[in-house]
Amino acid sequence: MRDLIVRRAPHMGMAGPHRPRRFALALATMLGAALALPAAGGAARAHAARTISLSDSGHLHLTSHHGFTLNEQGSASGSISGTIYLHLNVVSTNRVTAEINIYPSGGSVTGKASASYHPSGALATFSGTMSIVRGTGSYNHASGSGLSFSGTVARSNDAITVHVSGKFST
Amino acid sequence: MTRAAVRRCASRIVAIATVAVALACAAVPAAAQALTEHATLSASFSPNKLGTPTTITFAFHLSTSEGVAPPPLTAMDLQMPAGMNYTTTQLGLAICQPAELIAKGLAGCPANSRLGYGSAEVEVPFGTGSGHEIPEIQAVAGPSPTGNLSVLFYANGLYPVDAQLGFTGEVLPDSGRYGSQLSANVPLVTSVPGGPDVSIVNVKTSIGPNHLTYYKRVHGRRVAYKPRGVSVPERCPRGGFPFAANFTFEEGSTASAQVSVPCPPRR
Repeated sequence: MRDLIVRRAPHMGMAGPHRPRRFALALATMLGAALALPAAGGAARAHAARTISLSDSGHLHLTSHHGFTLNEQGSASGSISGTIYLHLNVVSTNRVTAEINIYPSGGSVTGKASASYHPSGALATFSGTMSIVRGTGSYNHASGSGLSFSGTVARSNDAITVHVSGKFST
Repeated sequence: MTRAAVRRCASRIVAIATVAVALACAAVPAAAQALTEHATLSASFSPNKLGTPTTITFAFHLSTSEGVAPPPLTAMDLQMPAGMNYTTTQLGLAICQPAELIAKGLAGCPANSRLGYGSAEVEVPFGTGSGHEIPEIQAVAGPSPTGNLSVLFYANGLYPVDAQLGFTGEVLPDSGRYGSQLSANVPLVTSVPGGPDVSIVNVKTSIGPNHLTYYKRVHGRRVAYKPRGVSVPERCPRGGFPFAANFTFEEGSTASAQVSVPCPPRR
């Protein structure tokens, strides 16, 4: 699905017999047109909103931990591949929150998640939902919510496997 | 009947009634009397250092104002301070199945399921004296059907309480000053088959890596190591780290106790 949003510059007048007045009018029109242009995009520049079906898995290792937060890095594969960073914050004995950053070529996607957390033996599992909160580059307008967020923490070395899936727009 | 005969008869009746009342009072079991239960609690961290993995030791003593043994304990909640960090603990990397624990004792459980150990003293309601020790209480990680951390307690009683007892506690989130609580239903323990239940008087248990050895495979070799414990909070609240315990007895009565672990000295 593609939604195309196009912004056009206002049409400018042509020169005629009353040149000074028309020149002034044209100048004013140009100034007005320049002021009317959106800051981010030029005349006739378009933003195409696409919907991306995401189904990615990441395998991460612990880089540091601070307080209740495990900071992890690894690689993501699936719909969008690239380096993945995860900050998993254990907020209680059975809940976690997380921030995920994926860096595919040409941009990045950042998500925030909340999940239940169940430590049991060698593995702790988590399962919840994630929202896409921002993106850069090719994913500049990334947004979405209600994506699935789940995974495991290997309690012997804090290595994390994470899986995210769902649709978001960009 | 003469007056003297009537007096003799009346005094005999009073004496018999007095003996009957005394016998009736003696026959009322201690549990049926209105008792006022008391609890005291102690707790410590070893080491007691901010943000550092530690071993938590807690102990409680149950008594009554009347000086008799408290009713049998049926449930307890131990509330632990907010900020205790379970994130990176390696305790309970393996799970012990309750059936194996009951059948084989600690030998039925993987070494990496051990969480801690302790002992208890119980009162038995017959004339062998008081303060019988249950020398072995083990705490191991159990299966968690509800998704919460699960602690299996195993008590190996010897004479005169010859019973192997297992029960489960769950670590649940708490609020306010307390970050989590260990909640357990305690089964009744009969003193002898068909006999009355014993009363728990003292319990002391440690949860943490002190005196625990875990094993891992490194290049095919089994290597022993000390697991990382739950961490002491990174900040100490005014007045110290608060612990609280609530006890419920067989008759439905309750008792509670609080204690604080002092803040560690600043460097």
